[in-house]
Amino acid sequence: MDGFSTAFSEITLVLFTTLAPSGAVAYLLMNLPVLFGRVDGTLRQRLDRLSCLPLAITMVGLIASATHLGNPSNALYVFTGVGRSPLSTEVFCAVIFLALAGMYWLYSFALAPRRGLQRVLLVAIDGAAVVFVIATAFAYSVDTIPVWNLSLAPVSLLLNALVGGPLLALSGFAGVGYRPWTRPLVALSGAALVANVAVYGCLGTQLAVMANEMVHATDLVAGFPAYVGVFALLAGVGIVIAWRSRGCEGRSPVVRLAVATACALAGIFLMRFTFYMAHFTVGLGV
Amino acid sequence: MTQYGFHFDGTRCTGCKTCVLACKDKNDLANDINFRNIHEYGGGDWTQDAAGCWTNDAFVYHVSVACNHCDKPICMANCPQGAISKDEETGEVKSDPETCIGCGTCMNSCPYGAPKVDAEQMKSVKCNMCADRVAAGAQPICVEACPLRALDFGDIADLRAKYGDLSEIAPLPAASETEPNLVITAPVNGKPVDDKSGALLNPREIL
Repeated sequence: MDGFSTAFSEITLVLFTTLAPSGAVAYLLMNLPVLFGRVDGTLRQRLDRLSCLPLAITMVGLIASATHLGNPSNALYVFTGVGRSPLSTEVFCAVIFLALAGMYWLYSFALAPRRGLQRVLLVAIDGAAVVFVIATAFAYSVDTIPVWNLSLAPVSLLLNALVGGPLLALSGFAGVGYRPWTRPLVALSGAALVANVAVYGCLGTQLAVMANEMVHATDLVAGFPAYVGVFALLAGVGIVIAWRSRGCEGRSPVVRLAVATACALAGIFLMRFTFYMAHFTVGLGV
Repeated sequence: MTQYGFHFDGTRCTGCKTCVLACKDKNDLANDINFRNIHEYGGGDWTQDAAGCWTNDAFVYHVSVACNHCDKPICMANCPQGAISKDEETGEVKSDPETCIGCGTCMNSCPYGAPKVDAEQMKSVKCNMCADRVAAGAQPICVEACPLRALDFGDIADLRAKYGDLSEIAPLPAASETEPNLVITAPVNGKPVDDKSGALLNPREIL
């Protein structure tokens, strides 16, 4: 099986690992103004309700990942492996994060939500979001899969989330007409992109010497530097668009930031695709 | 508990694939699934000495591999469903079809390429060391079918006492990865794990 076939057969997981970590980071960033009491009244309410945007993006990823299962009706057994299987732990963390965030979103429609309770919930959700992103990053660390087991592999996913998450959060903020922290969030995304490209550069040099008896990693992911280049270009364009949206008024920033986010997510999708392309085991498995 | 395992005699195997087909026949496997595979490993080159005389160090040998019902099964460790377990009586690494969701994590993790996802059933499937035959006192079908008697099966302690402790050879992974219940009698010119002088010569036959 070649790298493309492997990655296409796992395309829903590519989608999941693209959307869910960025969605979780965006959710965390979007609730910070509420958590720290920076917004009030109608704006706070709108921000609470629009938190469903990153939540929906995370859920799209999770639902997509469930479609690759042959028999989802048995999926509840996944909780029997929490702590033992990295995949079980990842799914468990996702469910906790989504359940808490969903609860918070529903509570935001209460006529007089208790702020103290909301803050407690937000702290719990933010903790769950961080744990979920970390669990996703380490879900693929398997001793017998050399490329997935590299120490930089989870780092690359964490940085992916820090590239896409801030841009998605800015889109959400713009959706409610609130424009805080544009500079620091774009700067965070930009810094994460630089680090991410550097990490992919290191991974590329590691791939060059990895092989089993059947395949060579560089044959599975032929042209890896070109993929990294396209990723840097797409995410870079997204960051520039987000930066240039600062002075825009009306609906324009929403569209611009949505395009910026789409560009970054497209770049991340590409790199997640290469991650699955590079799958092979020690010994005989491809 | 008796931990069962396989012995493979590389000095006898000719790569005829009777074991592969007997297994496919017994388990009624689809065209794209083998529970047992024959890996053909070979390499070498010609060199000319100062006197102009050509010599070669060409080699080729076969290794027959199925699930090794490992002591440290990575498929079991990574299965998110807890669908894979080790039988307490025989040491068989078995998958529970009622719990399996066909996610392919076992297939992706196993360094021997043993578990597969059956596209029709959407379940993980693999060698079960012919548990029905073994329970009836017979040998697994691959062992019985081998015309060269290159395979043996039994209590792994007995097999190790009889044939030795070698359980890794190129192109297999290092035994330390999963601690397979496999004993190998090395073929002539057998190469160690991580050997770089040869290559797998029949990748399209490996299913």
